Amino acid sequence: MASEIFDWIRHSAGLRGDRTIYESDEGSLTFGDLDIFSKAVATWVAKHSDIERPIAVMTSRSVYTPACCMGVARAGCFYAPMDVDMPRARLEQVMSVAAPELLIVDRDHLEIAESIAEDCTVALMEDIMKGAADEELVAEREASVTESSPIYMIFTSGSTGKPKGVLTSHRALIGYLDGLNEVISLGEDDVLGNQASFDYIAAIRDMYLPLMTGARTVIIPKNEFAMPGDLFRTLNSHGVTTLCWSCAGIEIPAKLGGFEEGRPEHLRTVVFSGSVISNKYLRIWQENLPEVTFINQYGPTEATASCTYYVLREVVTDDTVIPIGRPYKHYQILLLSADSDNGTYEKTPDGEIGEICVKGPCLATGYYRSQEQTDKVFMQNPLNPDYPEIIYLTGDLGHIGEDGELYFHGRKDRQIKHMGHRVELTEIEAYALSIDGVNECASLYDKSRELIYIFYAGTATAREITLSFRTNMPAFMVPRRLVCLAEMPHLPNGKIAMSDLRKMMG
Amino acid sequence: METLMAILEELRPDVDFANEKSLVTGGVFDSFDIISLVSQLNDEFDITIKPANLLPENFNSAEAILSLIEKLQDEE
Repeated sequence: MASEIFDWIRHSAGLRGDRTIYESDEGSLTFGDLDIFSKAVATWVAKHSDIERPIAVMTSRSVYTPACCMGVARAGCFYAPMDVDMPRARLEQVMSVAAPELLIVDRDHLEIAESIAEDCTVALMEDIMKGAADEELVAEREASVTESSPIYMIFTSGSTGKPKGVLTSHRALIGYLDGLNEVISLGEDDVLGNQASFDYIAAIRDMYLPLMTGARTVIIPKNEFAMPGDLFRTLNSHGVTTLCWSCAGIEIPAKLGGFEEGRPEHLRTVVFSGSVISNKYLRIWQENLPEVTFINQYGPTEATASCTYYVLREVVTDDTVIPIGRPYKHYQILLLSADSDNGTYEKTPDGEIGEICVKGPCLATGYYRSQEQTDKVFMQNPLNPDYPEIIYLTGDLGHIGEDGELYFHGRKDRQIKHMGHRVELTEIEAYALSIDGVNECASLYDKSRELIYIFYAGTATAREITLSFRTNMPAFMVPRRLVCLAEMPHLPNGKIAMSDLRKMMG
Repeated sequence: METLMAILEELRPDVDFANEKSLVTGGVFDSFDIISLVSQLNDEFDITIKPANLLPENFNSAEAILSLIEKLQDEE
């Protein structure tokens, strides 16, 4: 079965070719343009690559980026989006994991692209989009892949110190979008406000929902998120009806007092995900926008963005515990408890806390070029001895309440959610240890103040360490508090005494 | 200015605050920086930065931030 996504692109170009699909301060793209540009990109990629190969796409957050990504897909390949705002060292890491033979870049970032591309052909997006489309070749390529072929590879923080490339199929993406849209029912009159960078999983909603429903997406400039007045003006001037944002994106305008000066006037639905939202700030949104439906989403990149959701029924109080809800269509959830003695799993007893596991057709295919890491978390359902059935172990803990809703209980490991991103504290430690003058370190997270701490022993100054992080790691992985200790506290077994450090966090 | 520079440098040691003129419009500050900065300035200078003050032109450079602080101190 070929991918429906190709049909969406063709059909919407025929049905509403002149309507806008993506717009930003700098320009807009119609459904017709998307078809033409993605076909031109597909033609070029098809001539330079076999099917089912990774193609890096390194462009600004512009209306052309989705067209470029979809062009890669139409050539039967999968795209690895790279955020040009990431520090160079991070981009190099991503390149080393993806090892693409082709890298498509926009003119503004040609220089950096060429400097990180080893054994890789670099092509200018502006040039290949202008190229002639070979209809026959594109149709042939589209027919050569199936729904289970990968469409993208998105990177997440890896506990080993290297990002992991999460490979996702057409089928998984389509299934997620279908499940989400069954709940939010977008139509042609809807306008999505895009917050996420295109290299981040959250952006798949803003990229693909318009194709599925006829809605359009407005790309909101990043710096407006620090200036709520500007942000709300943009939402209003574009008539934005729907937000699918990280919890951090929702909290910041409320935290900065945005609603004291104005409010978004056209909103209908606000979907948030990525971490546990602060009730205090959600309540400000709810009180100011009583007619809006608020939806809490939960799910990891490995389950294609989100796997469960909960529609809020009332304004939250400080004591409200918001469930992560029930699975979207195309997803199933089970809770497993591990027996640490023999490494076996059993079904978590009713009402108790267990590890949240996901199954169904929307799971990611696995981690790119990392069978070992894949096998650790994508495994045969231990409750099913009868036939092959892969489940994904999220590492998140949860319980099913008496109301039948799923509730979140944090992580079983040291992964945190910071500024809407998933961060492995061990990756931060691994990086800090690579800095000259850091002999020993431990990273902790102060959740209430949203601060990543590094406690370290060594001769490096706090400034040197921060500078090194700033040049090499994404902003959300830069520790904000650095504490130099003469000696790290240790437990009798030689491990760092984390509980002592926790007491030192002011 | 010295107190302000100390706060700014602690917040973002990688930024050249003496010369940077587009902290917001150039995307140097992210929203997280603005949140920490606003609360620190409020505490340190005993002012209340209101949502209406959160405009790029008030935060694009160290001088702009300083004149915002002075303006708010005069109003108190």
